[in-house]
Amino acid sequence: MLKIIIPTTMLIPLTWLSKPNMIWINSTTHSLLISLISLSYLNQFSDNSLNFSLLFFSDPLSAPLLALTTWLLPLMLTASQNHLSKETIARKKLYITMLTLLQLFLIMTFTATELIMFYILFEATLAPTLIIITRWGNQTERLNAGLYFLFYTLVGSLPLLIALLYIQNTTGSLNFLIAQYWVKPISTTWSNIFLWLACMMAFMVKMPLYGLHLWLPKAHVEAPIAGSMVLAAVLLKLGGYGMMRITVLLNPLTGQMAYPFLMLSLWGMIMTSSICLRQTDLKSLIAYSSVSHMALVIVAVLIQTPWSYMGATALMIAHGLTSSMLFCLANSNYERVHSRTMILARGLQTLLPLMAAWWLLASLANLALPPTINLLGELFVMMASFSWSNTTIALMGTNIIITALYSLYMLITTLRGKQTDHVKNIKPSFTRENALMALHLLPLLLLSLNPKIVLGPIH
Amino acid sequence: HGGRAVSLCARRLWAVAATRGLPAARVRWDSSSSRAVIAPSAVAGKRTPEPAVRWQEDPDVEDENLYEKNPDSHGYDRDPVVDLWNMRVVFFFGFSVVLVLGSTFIAYLPDYRCMGCGPPHVYPRASASRMQEWARREAERLVKYREANGLPIMESNCFDPSKIQLPEDED
Repeated sequence: MLKIIIPTTMLIPLTWLSKPNMIWINSTTHSLLISLISLSYLNQFSDNSLNFSLLFFSDPLSAPLLALTTWLLPLMLTASQNHLSKETIARKKLYITMLTLLQLFLIMTFTATELIMFYILFEATLAPTLIIITRWGNQTERLNAGLYFLFYTLVGSLPLLIALLYIQNTTGSLNFLIAQYWVKPISTTWSNIFLWLACMMAFMVKMPLYGLHLWLPKAHVEAPIAGSMVLAAVLLKLGGYGMMRITVLLNPLTGQMAYPFLMLSLWGMIMTSSICLRQTDLKSLIAYSSVSHMALVIVAVLIQTPWSYMGATALMIAHGLTSSMLFCLANSNYERVHSRTMILARGLQTLLPLMAAWWLLASLANLALPPTINLLGELFVMMASFSWSNTTIALMGTNIIITALYSLYMLITTLRGKQTDHVKNIKPSFTRENALMALHLLPLLLLSLNPKIVLGPIH
Repeated sequence: HGGRAVSLCARRLWAVAATRGLPAARVRWDSSSSRAVIAPSAVAGKRTPEPAVRWQEDPDVEDENLYEKNPDSHGYDRDPVVDLWNMRVVFFFGFSVVLVLGSTFIAYLPDYRCMGCGPPHVYPRASASRMQEWARREAERLVKYREANGLPIMESNCFDPSKIQLPEDED
């Protein structure tokens, strides 16, 4: 694990000591090399996990998430180069430092063995993200967005700390690998119900669950591009990952306690998909679509069947790449038109045909076109939830249709039709932007050739 | 008389131009047929400068068009050399190193996840993925062999019945 942690930590001195015209080159190169090292963790055993030390381990669930996290840092750096070009050198270096620090905390969170360490780093990821949103966001609403983001997550996760300390006191260890084998079934007493709630609410807020999702559209919209990318691609998956870990300790109570959250998720995914159809703000549309996709992951984790866990893992990775790509596409529009309103920049296909190709592929991935892993995840979750209760197929099917509707709506509004007058003088796509989209899409397409590495520990 | 009327009109037009922001005269013009004169406005400072309004179509003043100074810009930096090297670095390390070498690494990952290791039964447990590719190849090989030799593809007995030793029936 140190072979990833130390290079990531060293990215910070690298940034500060680089010459001003080399900061982007150096940080992008080295973060790409770190992501290459993290791919080695995908060589997993099936029964056991890769145990690096007492502090860190990686199993087939956390290894793909780790690879996603480390892959995202160079993409974030590439995406941020334009909007930071006017800042002073110190500010640029500070931005890169924030991103690197966030990356470091995320790497350690995904591989933490001890659940208290996981909790501390889970909270620690809030700090750089808050700084990125509130300092480098573009509109005045960013302060409100930062507040919502911070306090929703903190209020949700403080009970988790208490619950973890309680489990430590009763079970004796919060080392996840040991706790798996020491699990005693917990009965349905009031205190156990509160324990269950305390453990799960942090991750429900993070996912986010439909009723607790208010922070997400604000935070995603107001964040600068790197902030939006990391929020959508990785921070949401922290919730899913945490839930998949903590439910190991909470059986069989999950079978009864999960009902309200399942109802909220099933209903919420339809509601948020429908809200997407009514959005005028492009980033807000993508943010709500994130809520919708993550609701599927919540359903999958709560019904706890082998196929649903496989679907949840695949969905998390797929959504990470797709959502991040959509935010980058929206950002490429924003940098030209300086507005997030969709109808202001219409008809871009004739002006930017290659970018239109990326828009098409990203939207097709978003609506879970076969053979992408988006489809794989959604299909697995659908089948598992059908076996849990036949009625859910109606809701899932409706969600899939509405997802297709808003993805096509987004595509048609931004690409097709007659251009507005003021987009006629926009600059052609840069190589940087095309490279960014390709670097998002190619891993997604390659994964559809070999999905078994993202299907998680059950496969 | 007519010339004075024309010159009055000309001055009135000029005054209109001066106060209403129409394009003003840049050089002095003297009429050859009358005494009409159009001269650069003395009230130039009091006019609103053109263009009076900024349209949405105009490029944002703060936006820097990277293509202006460097038509071959790749979008990374103003300096063409740094821009070029940044592009090369991203493409080399991003595509050629990570995507290509990484995919090769993943494609050649062994398929035999550790068979028969780990504790007896712990939830959750992976089962079907062990040595899957080998199992498929072995099955195809055996089927081919058995079909070629006329043997049945599978026997209904899981174990060889002659090797099972049953206790004697006791009455």
